[in-house]
Parts: sequence; structure tokens; C-alpha cells
Amino acid sequence: MTGSWVPVALSSDLPSGTVLPARIPAGPLALWRSQSGRVAASADRCPHRGMSLSHGFVRGETLSCIYHGWSYGQAGNCLRIPAHPGLTPPEAIRTVTHPVAEADGVVWVAVGEPAATPPGLAGLVPLRSITAFVDIAAIEAAAGAKATAEGLLDAGDIRLLLSSTREGETLIHVLIAADAGPAERIAAARTAEALRRRAEDIQKKGAAQ
Amino acid sequence: MAGEAQNPLKERMTIHGELDADSFVPWIRRHAAKLGVTQAITHHSPDRIEIDLSGAPELIDMLEVGCLLGPIDVWVETIDRRPVGNAGG
Amino acid sequence: MTVGPMFDEWYPVGIFGQLDAAGRKTMLMGEPIVVARDDNGDAKVTDGTGRSLPVCVRYGHVWTSLGDPKKKLFAIPEADQPGRRFVDVGVVRVRCSPLRAVENFLDIAHFPFVHTDILGAEPHTEVQAYKVEIREDVDEVWATQVEFYQPQAAKSASGGITTQYMYRVAGPTSTVLYKTCPPRPSEWDVITLFVQPLAEDLCDVWPWMALFDDDTPMTDLIHFQQTIFLQDRSILENQVPRLLPLDPGMEMPTRADLTSVAYRRWLKRHNFTYGAQLVAQ
Repeated sequence: MTGSWVPVALSSDLPSGTVLPARIPAGPLALWRSQSGRVAASADRCPHRGMSLSHGFVRGETLSCIYHGWSYGQAGNCLRIPAHPGLTPPEAIRTVTHPVAEADGVVWVAVGEPAATPPGLAGLVPLRSITAFVDIAAIEAAAGAKATAEGLLDAGDIRLLLSSTREGETLIHVLIAADAGPAERIAAARTAEALRRRAEDIQKKGAAQ
Repeated sequence: MAGEAQNPLKERMTIHGELDADSFVPWIRRHAAKLGVTQAITHHSPDRIEIDLSGAPELIDMLEVGCLLGPIDVWVETIDRRPVGNAGG
Repeated sequence: MTVGPMFDEWYPVGIFGQLDAAGRKTMLMGEPIVVARDDNGDAKVTDGTGRSLPVCVRYGHVWTSLGDPKKKLFAIPEADQPGRRFVDVGVVRVRCSPLRAVENFLDIAHFPFVHTDILGAEPHTEVQAYKVEIREDVDEVWATQVEFYQPQAAKSASGGITTQYMYRVAGPTSTVLYKTCPPRPSEWDVITLFVQPLAEDLCDVWPWMALFDDDTPMTDLIHFQQTIFLQDRSILENQVPRLLPLDPGMEMPTRADLTSVAYRRWLKRHNFTYGAQLVAQ
């Protein structure tokens, strides 16, 4: 397996007709869900003049750049250049896109050539995401447990799905049992927050170096 | 190719300027490919480059606009264009 | 990056009317400067060593240079025309190259998307061909015969109109636009963007206007322009790269971008590269 699936966002944070910024090691992404509910991941840069596409808007099955309105299909192909409406943009004019899969309430982006489907979460479901300004090592030190290659970390009282967004920054998805009740959900959120703080202290003290 | 459905122009573009940098010809080829414009460079010398082009009018305009700048070590003085008969239909 | 020929150009560094003796600490292309009023009330600009820099007061702003400018500051005849309202809009700090701020000002294709229902609106998005040239006699970039449908072209406009535009680049970071004046169709309203380069990727933008509009209160004129410029800032601070590429190898300029391309050619020919990216990547 020469690639991996990166958990870039939770499905619940990406309603139909919206776009949000996300990150994979290769760089920033514009993650968007069309009106019909299909998700696509484009490089967060419009090929026209370099505007961030995650600042754009979704209309029907297309993502449009907020600067000059160039719009793109799910496969990244440019469909419209508003300043030159007579032109049908050729296939060559397109953004870079990355394969996307959605499972168990998590949106995964493929990096390189990963396995056909993203890893399973063993019946767990995502509660919410939080961003911590630490590296994964500091979270592991704070949790006293190691994350698997896919980013799954089981610290007994809490289970997390981790994704390193950039140097010194990790996206943490808090996971809970599918049938968890309100009390368990609140406890999980609190435990995750406490763990994030511990990890940030560890990183500040350099203990995790 | 969707771009070809409209009536594609066939044009000859002549670029004059200080063009002897060996960066400009590959730059033109890359830029044309990025725009889906078919190109054939029929002449290139330190002060003149000639290119036969085929594609939608707006796309050939885009190639011209990009070539007015080109890489930093090139100075383009003028770009002239003339149709050379229509491609296809 | 050494400053190069941009060292000897004029730049706006403050609004004269707002100057006091204490002065204002600011930067110009990486150099600390102080802009103040001297004992007899004239503008004074000193550099980090306390040396006095060239200074002039024009169009409501204080202008200075780190080097010695070859020419006087460019002229805007309309600034002396009776009956106009002169509007110091203020300053907006933008985390991008000063050259990017000018490029954005020269562009109309973004009006329907960035200034929706003010300077433009869908479906009126097509940009008609216009004329662009570098006028050798004055060594300035000019775009003329530009027109665009605008729902609210100015505070003085009542309803949508097709607006005529002319764009002018008079200095590496100074640009002037002339647009249809709704109350006086035979005159141009003048809107300028004077950009102070603080660093290669940081600038203070001083819009200034000379308008025919006897009805709109000054605060509304200022608010109208500030709203427009804050909309531009959210674009400028989210564009990659922050510097202005002189090689469009990583971009796809169209015919509608011709004014931006002429501006980049003008910068390239003058080796005005402070705030520019030379190799596309």
C-alpha cells in the first residue's frame, strides 16, 4: 500500500451546498459538497489567478471561485468563465482534485494509492472535531497510547482519530460508541478537551521532543 | 474535446522581442497545453518566434495575453496574429 | 530582496489633515520612518537615522521617497477642479504585496462576485474588449474604452447604469480610475488608490476620491468606498502567492486581465520588482 486515507473532516460539518478549507500533508484543500450531496476535494487554489477556492461558493453541482466566478465540476474541470460567457472551457482547464470517500460519518481524502476503502472505525462514530496546536507525538504522550498508521488512537477512556494537518498542528476527531447517550457524549468531549490541553503543555515544555 | 465544438480558429502568431532565452519555447508549449490550444512552433530565433495555433478564439487570446509576459528573462515587444484558414467545418 | 529602482519613487505615507507634531511612526519598504508636522505646520518625514527625506503634500496626502525621485509627483488635474468633493477615505492595512493591491484595483471582472449588487451583479458578467497601452510620453499604463453594467456605480447613482471606466497607473503603487459621474455625464469621477509598501507582502492602502456629488454626506461617501475596499481585502489576503507574479506560468490570464498584464509588463520593463515574484512556482 503506497498511500493512505486522511480523515479531513466530519460529514456533519459539511452540509450540501457548502465548501470548507481542509489540509493534507500535500497542501490546503477546498472540500465541498454539491447540492445533491456528493463530496469533492480540490486543491485550494483557482488556476486563474491563485485565489483560495475554499472562499468560493457551491451552486448546484459546481464550485465557483469568489474572485472572478470561474466554476468547476466535481472532477475539477472548468465549466464556466463568466467574463467570457461564449467560451466552453476545454478539458485542459481544471483544478487538481483528490479522490474522496465518506464512511461512518468521516470524510476521507486519498493520498497516493491507498487501499480501496478507508479504514473502519470498529462501530464507533464521530462526535466532533477539535484542532490542537501540537504534533501527534504530543497527543500520544498525553494519552499514554500510540496511534495506528491510519491515525486511530485508543486511550481506554477516549478514542480519537488523528490527522496531521501541518507541522505543529493536528486535527482530532473525537469518536464515541454509536449508541452513546448524552452523558457519555459530554464526558467524551470533556476528556478530549483535557487531553488537548495536556498535549499542548507537553509540547510547550518540549517533553514530547 | 468540448472546446473544439465551437468553430476553432487556425492562426499564426508572430512574437517579436528579446526572446533568446531557451526558457520561452518550453514556456509557450506548457502554457498552450494548459489552455487546451494546439500549437506548432514553426520558427524561433533570438528576436522572433512563429507559432501555428488552433483552438477557440478566447483560448488563443489567453495564450497571447500570457505570452505578452512569458518568463522573467524574456522581453516581448509585440505579438501579431493572422488567421490561416479555418480548421474543420 | 534589494529594493532596486522602486527606491527612487514617491509613495503615500499619511493623510496631511490628520498629521500632528508628535507624528506617526510607519515603514516604507522595510525602512522605519516618522511622518510629522514641523514648527510651521509643514509635513516632515525622517528616516531611522533622523535624516530628512524628500517630501511633498498632494491630493490630501503626504508623499515621500527613500531615494531621490527623478520626477515630480504625477499630476491629477481634476484635483484642482472647482465643484468637486475631495474625500480622504482613510487607510486599510492589507497582508499582501502592494503590487497585488494595485492589480486588484485595475480589474473589473471581479465586480459581480466581490462587490455584488454594488459595482456589479450576475448575469452582467461579460467583459467586453477594451484598449490597453503603455503611453510612452508619460510612461504610464492606460486602459480606456472600458465599460461595465453597475447596479450602484456610486452613491450619486440612482439605479443601475452602464459605467464607462478609464484606468491609469501613474506610479509603481499609485493608480487612478476615472469613471462615469452619474450627476454630470460629461465629467469623470476620480477614484485613486495610493498604496504605501510597508514590506514586500504588507501594505497600507490610502484610497482618495475627487467626485461631483453635492448631496451625499461625507461619512456616507467614505463608508461606500471603505465597504468596497474591505471586500477586496478578503480576496487579497487569501490569494497565492502573496507577491505579484511577473511570470504568469502558474496562472491563466484571459483577455479581461489585459490591464493587469500591461501593469506587470510595465513593472518588468522598469525592474520595479519590490513585492513581485520573478519565477512562477
